[in-house]
This record gives sequence, C-alpha cells and structure tokens, in this order.
Amino acid sequence: MKPKIVVVEDDQPILDLMDILLKKLGYDPVLIPNGLDALTYVRIEPPALILLDIMMSPLSGWEFLDRLRTEYNQREIPVILFTASPVGAERMAELHDPKLGILQKPVTFDELKTTLQQFLA
Amino acid sequence: MERQITLREHRFSHTDIVRFTVIASFTLSSILITAIALSRNIGTLYSQLLYFPILYAAYFYPRRGIILAGLCGIVYECLVYFSLFPDMFALLSATGQAVLFICVALAVAYFTNKIRISEARYRSIFENSLMGVILFDKNSFTIQLANQQVAEMLGHTTEELGQMTFSDLFFSRDFQRQFFERVGSGEDIRNFETCFATKTKEPHWVNLSWSRIDDTVVSCAVIDINAEKLARQVAADSLTQYRQVTENSPTGMVITEHTRIQFANPAFSSFSGYEPAECTGRDLADSVLDQDRERFMTFAGRWNAATPVPDRAEFRFATKSGEIRRAVLYFTPITRNNKPAGLINIIDNTEWEEYREQVEQTKERRREMMRAVAHELRTPLQPIMGYLNLLLHDPHSFGVTDETRQILDRCTKSVDQERQIINQMLEVSVVEGEVISLDYSVFSVLGMVNAVIASGGYAIKAEIVIDIPPNLTFEADRQKLSYVINALVANGVTYSKPPKKIWITYRGSSALPFHRLAIQDNGIGITEAQLDKIFKPENDGSAGSLGHSTGEPGLSLAIGKKYVQIHGGYISVDSILNIGSTFTIHIPKKRLDQGDRHET
Repeated sequence: MKPKIVVVEDDQPILDLMDILLKKLGYDPVLIPNGLDALTYVRIEPPALILLDIMMSPLSGWEFLDRLRTEYNQREIPVILFTASPVGAERMAELHDPKLGILQKPVTFDELKTTLQQFLA
Repeated sequence: MERQITLREHRFSHTDIVRFTVIASFTLSSILITAIALSRNIGTLYSQLLYFPILYAAYFYPRRGIILAGLCGIVYECLVYFSLFPDMFALLSATGQAVLFICVALAVAYFTNKIRISEARYRSIFENSLMGVILFDKNSFTIQLANQQVAEMLGHTTEELGQMTFSDLFFSRDFQRQFFERVGSGEDIRNFETCFATKTKEPHWVNLSWSRIDDTVVSCAVIDINAEKLARQVAADSLTQYRQVTENSPTGMVITEHTRIQFANPAFSSFSGYEPAECTGRDLADSVLDQDRERFMTFAGRWNAATPVPDRAEFRFATKSGEIRRAVLYFTPITRNNKPAGLINIIDNTEWEEYREQVEQTKERRREMMRAVAHELRTPLQPIMGYLNLLLHDPHSFGVTDETRQILDRCTKSVDQERQIINQMLEVSVVEGEVISLDYSVFSVLGMVNAVIASGGYAIKAEIVIDIPPNLTFEADRQKLSYVINALVANGVTYSKPPKKIWITYRGSSALPFHRLAIQDNGIGITEAQLDKIFKPENDGSAGSLGHSTGEPGLSLAIGKKYVQIHGGYISVDSILNIGSTFTIHIPKKRLDQGDRHET
C-alpha cells in the first residue's frame, strides 16, 4: 500500500502540482485546501506524513500544527512545513519537534524526493 | 590663667607689704600719740586715732583687722589703766572703747566681705564668660569695660578697647547706621546680627544683645557667629556659582542630597514642568514613572555608597502635566556644605527615542514587506519549477524531444536564478536588520575554496589558479565565507575577458593580524564611481551590469561584505580599468569575542 501524504495548501496550482509529483514519487496524495478540513480528516484517517503550508486562512499552518500536536495528541505523524515564508525555519527551530521538517518553496523535484524519503524512512 | 595668678599674687604680695607698713606705722604712731595724750592728759585725742589702722586693716584683711582691733583694744586699755587708774568711769569708758574697736572692725569686715563676694561674682561672669561683654556709655558710646573674649575676638587688647568708642567697632557705616537705629529705639535688644571690624580691618560677624544697667551704662553681650556666618555665606556663594554655571545650560541639572532636590536649573524646570521654586525640596524619585521607580531607587541607592562613583542610567519621567519623558541621568558625586551630594545631569532623549523608534518601525515594516514580497514571489515559482523538474526528470514519458529539453533546461536555470535572487533579497533584509550569529569552526581554506569552485562549476568557465598553502586553516564561519568566495569568484568570472583567468591567492603574513585572501581577475576593471556602489544592496547592477549574464546577482557582494564585517574583517578592492580587479578578503586571525563586533 502506498504511503498516504496529506497536502494542506490553499494555492490551487501548487495542489495540482503536488498531486502529480507525489504520485510520480509513488505516494498516495490527499489534497485538502484548508486547515480546518484537514484537521478533521487527519483525525479520522492519520496519514503517513503531512505537507503543510503556513500562510493560510482561516487556520494558519502554525495553528494547525499546534492543534494537531496538542489537541489531537498526534505527535508521531511527521509534518513538513511547505512554505514560501522566510521566517519558517526560525520558528521551527524553536519548537524542537523531531518530527518536523521544512521545505522552502519553490522546491525542486529532487529536494522533495530526498526530504520525503528521509521522513518516511 | 596661671600667669595671671602669678601676676596677681605678685601684685598682692607687693601691696601687702605696703599695706602692712602703713598699718603698722599707723598703729604704732596712734598708740604712741594716745600714750602721750594720756600722759599729758589731752582728753580729745584718746582713741580716735586708732580707728585709722583698724578700719584700714579690717577693710583689706577682715580677719587680721579684727585681731588688730583686739590688740589695739588691749593696748589702749593698758595705756588707760596705766594713766588714769583708779578713775572708774574713765576705765569703763576705755573698756567700752576697746570693745567698740572690735565691733567696728567686725562690721567693716562683714560688709567688705559682702561687697567683695558680689564683686567677685560679677567679675567671674565678666572675665570667664565665653561671651564677649562690653560696657559702654549710653550717650558717648565710649567703652568703659570690655572683657578678654571681645579682645580676643577682635584682636585688640582690653586696654586698647577701653580707649575706643562702641561705634568704632563696626565694620562699615551701614552696620553702624543699623546699630544706631536700633539703639535709638531705646529698647533692650536681643540677637542683633552685625559685623565688627577686627584690628586688621577684617569683617567679623557677631550677634549682639544689650540692656541698660543704669541711666548711663549699657551692657552688651557679644556672641561670635563669624564661623557660622561664613559657612552660610560659602553655601550661598556655591549655590550662586551653580546657578551661574547651570543657568544657560540646555541640559537639566539638579543637585541632590540623597534623592531630594536642593537645586534645579531652568532646563530641569522646563523638563519637569515644575517651577524652579517648586523643584527645590522635591524628591527626584517622585518624578520618575512608577514602572521605573524601583530601578531608580536601586540606581540612587548607589549614590549613598562610601565612595560613590559617577554613574548613568535611563529612566522615564512624568512631568507635572503628566506627560512622559525619557531621559538619561548622569550622576557625579560632589560635596556640598561638607556633606555628600550628587550633581545630576538630565539629558532629555524623548525626541531621540521617538525618532529611533520610528526608524526601527520603518525598518521593521520594510523587513515585513520584503518577507511578504518574497512569499508572494516564491509561491507562483513553485508550480513552474515543479513542472519543469517533472518534465526533465522523465522526458520520454512526456514525449519531450531533445530540443525541447534544452529549452526546458534554460527555463529551469532562469527559475533557479529567480529563486536565488529572492533568497538573496531576503538575506539582505536579514543582514541589514538583525544580528547574525556566526557558526565558528576551524577548517582548511584550500578545501573550502576547492568546494566552492567545484559546486559553482567555475573551472569550466575560466582558468582558476589557486595558490593557498594546503595546511592553512581559518577559524571562521565556513558557510558564510564560502558564500563570500563564491560571490567574488562568480563576479570575477563574469567580468574576465577571454581567455578568462582567475587567481585565488593567500597573502597572509605572520606579522599581520589578518588573513588575506585575494581573488583577482583579468577583467574589465571597475571605475572609481562604481567602486562605491558595488557593495551596496541598492546597487541595481547597472554599475557594470553586475551579474546579469551569469546569474550571480549584485546583491551577493553586499551580503558578502556584511558577512566579512561581522567576522571583524573587511574587503578591499584594487582595480585598473581593462586590466582587472583584485578583491582581498581580510579575516582576523584571532576570533572576535561577542560584543567586539563593530560596524565598519
């Protein structure tokens, strides 16, 4: 069975791209364009990994992460912040979360592949 | 005192001899005359003569006077017995006379003693008092008597004072006039402060109280207040001096004892909003904003140390109208009236702080905007890059021909370049606005340079000549220095003329505190005007079209410069037009400590 990856991203062109790329890399992508729906989904069907955009509304990536980790107590699911914002790395370092990674947009095919392999190993 | 006693004893013994001689001769002659008078029967001179020595002796020596009276009585009795016996009446009268001698002597001795005691009492007060006492004539103001205290106070002798008038004592006519006015009122005066002149014509402050002893004599008590008055005057003078010095100062200045204001200049008055008169006596701590008061008290607590040292700190103050102002306090310990005090300069930096905050806010807004812009620019790049990668990753399954592949390759390079530009733009906003920490390590310089050349693929683009000792190491942030070298090599490659050639040479020497790494090209060179611009982030590349053709944007030099600066080093440039340029990186051999870092 292919590992399921939830992509939380409010930018439709990127969602479309990730769909193709993840499939190409041999994963089962689930595309969810807003954080609240994603939380509900993740709670019912925990995926192998979450690719998470940060700048979203109504629920930002940070809020999503916080609720996922504390409210739903899902500490084992790896989350990769998938962001174009330059402050992501700093804040990520402050969280000291071993299951948290970052991919700076725009990401190359190879970078994506390596990072996913690393977290799903 | 001892000398006086000796002197007095000497005088007394001298007069004692004189008096003894007088009394003895009087007594003997009186007895002789009485004896002759009795033998010749001259009744009128019987006994009266003997009163002279008895009165004289009793007056000066009461006890001896009585004894003398007794002796005289006995001698007289004997003489009368010898001459008039057996006249019973005469004998009785003579006995009565003898008793009378003793009674007179007793009376004289008693009263003289009384007078002497009271005189001694006044004398002791007059001579031994710590106060000066002057007796002067109410009408002529001639000094009748002045005690030692007054004499010492003014440097005269008591005799000299006796020849002066009271009005001569005053230091100036003004003081004399004030005195006459008070005396003219006819009342007894207490605590009249005035100034006397000493013998050497120096002013000497005194406090006078006088009262009339009788119709002509006035007794005046003189208290020395000179020292106190001078001290007060010095205090007043120093206050005047402070006033003169601080009057026109734009800086607020206060003099405090502990935190209580003793003096405040007009600048402080306008800073605090309180009138100068209101400032004096106020507690400086009351003006400090509540939130800062505890910190202020700690600061002020150090003023009371045994040896306080100059100190400074910044606080917020509330003015009288409630406005909040910021100021830096500079404390300097001083001594005032022999007491420790503080001179506090208060520099109002409210406007400066506001300005600084505004600048900070502007900078912060700019950074925020850059981040937002970066985010907006990166997001649409993702699909482009993603799809290009996808096509190139598996060209055959998408039916991509080799020609299309080449085109897509170029597109990928452009997108990647775009990505780098955005990253560098962000980097500039970060290096400009934030403190960058360096990740120090010791590494091989040659290894680092080789890695940069390899990753940039520069060996294909130009001939690279590296002359670096293989065992040379730097202690620096490897990643940041790699960035700098990459930027400079890329720049060199861009501007070299074919056949392109780049020299990377280590030029350190053990005598220099800096490692020097030179990157030289055989390029077009840089003009003086361009030199100023190439390291500035505002550089749009037009100054020599930096980076346009190779994908190394001009921003990289600005970032590189910053990275070298935070290591405590600098980059120098030597350039000759159409011959080439040499960029030299100077990195301190000794690692910078935190806080040593400075902007250059």
